[in-house]
Amino acid sequence: MTKRAATLLLAVVLLPSHAAHAREPFENDSPPAPPPVVPIPDPVAFVVPAGLYYVTDTYIADVVATSDLTTTYSTATAHESTGTYARVLDSVDSGASSEFDGTAFNGRGALTDGRALAGTYYENFVLTASGYVPVSIVFFQDDSETRRRAAASSPSPAASSPSPAASSPAVTTAPVGGPSESRGVPTPVPSFRPQTPIAPVAPRLRAGIALAQDGPTLTSAEVLRGRLIYFWPRAFANDTAVAIRSWRLLSAQPDYASANTGSSEPFAAEWLRMPAPGVRWSLRFEIFTEVAPLERLEAEITIAVRSPALID
Amino acid sequence: MIHDDGGTAAVTTLVMLPLLLVVLAGALEFGALRAVAYRVAAAADLATLVAVNDQDQTELERTGTLRLAAGAVDVARDYFARNIEATASALAASASEIAASADIASFPTAPAIDPRTGARYDRPTVRLIASVPVKTPGLAVLLWPAVTTITIRAASSPR
Repeated sequence: MTKRAATLLLAVVLLPSHAAHAREPFENDSPPAPPPVVPIPDPVAFVVPAGLYYVTDTYIADVVATSDLTTTYSTATAHESTGTYARVLDSVDSGASSEFDGTAFNGRGALTDGRALAGTYYENFVLTASGYVPVSIVFFQDDSETRRRAAASSPSPAASSPSPAASSPAVTTAPVGGPSESRGVPTPVPSFRPQTPIAPVAPRLRAGIALAQDGPTLTSAEVLRGRLIYFWPRAFANDTAVAIRSWRLLSAQPDYASANTGSSEPFAAEWLRMPAPGVRWSLRFEIFTEVAPLERLEAEITIAVRSPALID
Repeated sequence: MIHDDGGTAAVTTLVMLPLLLVVLAGALEFGALRAVAYRVAAAADLATLVAVNDQDQTELERTGTLRLAAGAVDVARDYFARNIEATASALAASASEIAASADIASFPTAPAIDPRTGARYDRPTVRLIASVPVKTPGLAVLLWPAVTTITIRAASSPR
């Protein structure tokens, strides 16, 4: 009886109830999730040829070394950076032809049997205000051959050529601008002049921080407290935007930071505290670019955090 | 000889009571008016604070400086109407009418001079001046106007 009465009482209480439709004061004020970062191609960045890299070893000369019965064809290089860029055009095997044959300024040598040397064609570029300009093609030879001994039944073509002393290897270098007679047959004198009269210059690099992906770099920014702000590390070569390879946050005081490192994505930060009077906060970044991956750039932006206040 | 002044006290009370009631009613009415004025002023303060809590994103990306958003005046007017809605029963006009007639000005860049008040703003500012009619029925008994208009002023800036 008591249970029935309780059930009836509960039904009487619940039946006339209806939704309050109360307004949730903060339902529209929840902190928005950071918008997904969609990389947009930089409209001012010029086209970077595929596979381009910064040259750190430069061509010196073709080298032909003979040791006993083996002749090695290689390329002498110097570990230095002249501010140029290069990409691989073609890698060819011994005797194989390439569409770039005849285009390299140092030519492509041949084995003693007349077959073309194996190696790699590279195209050199310089960075100018208008972009990457191709200046020359060079062939890095990388091959070897072994002569048969005189006692062999069929003498090789190389056997008829003058042979250096068998006990000590002989090295012949085709110096810059000099003739090459390493293969017994004079080869065309390689020309080291660029194909176009543009002097290679080291690009003038600078970095900065922008508040938009393609926005101008700024030295300071006023941001509102509690707002998520996106900072885009940017780099320029001769005042032309270049791709960022990586960035790293060196110093900062935000209450929220998206990441300490990144590449093409921006750095997002939010400040909840206000700086003490007279204190200036800043963000400092270390930046590496695609055009000069080894060159370290720094960029800094000063932050002034503002908050609404009444005026008397 | 016995002197009885009980009748004098009764007469004095009878004469003074209306005066005391009038003074009491006036004090209560002025207190209520003052409370409404505080609430409306707080509503205006909050409206201007909300209005300056948004910045022009394009200007921020371009120059890094804080410039008020283009809709700051509309935001202030909207929030002013919402905020004084809680005091609507004491007001002699609707909240939307009061907000619509309010003089709200935005000074998106600084420094700026307010042409109405002559004030100089060193930061981007939103200023609100409103005339708010408040019901004062208690004062009407005393032959005062039944509606008293109070003028409130608020200004905010991001600092």
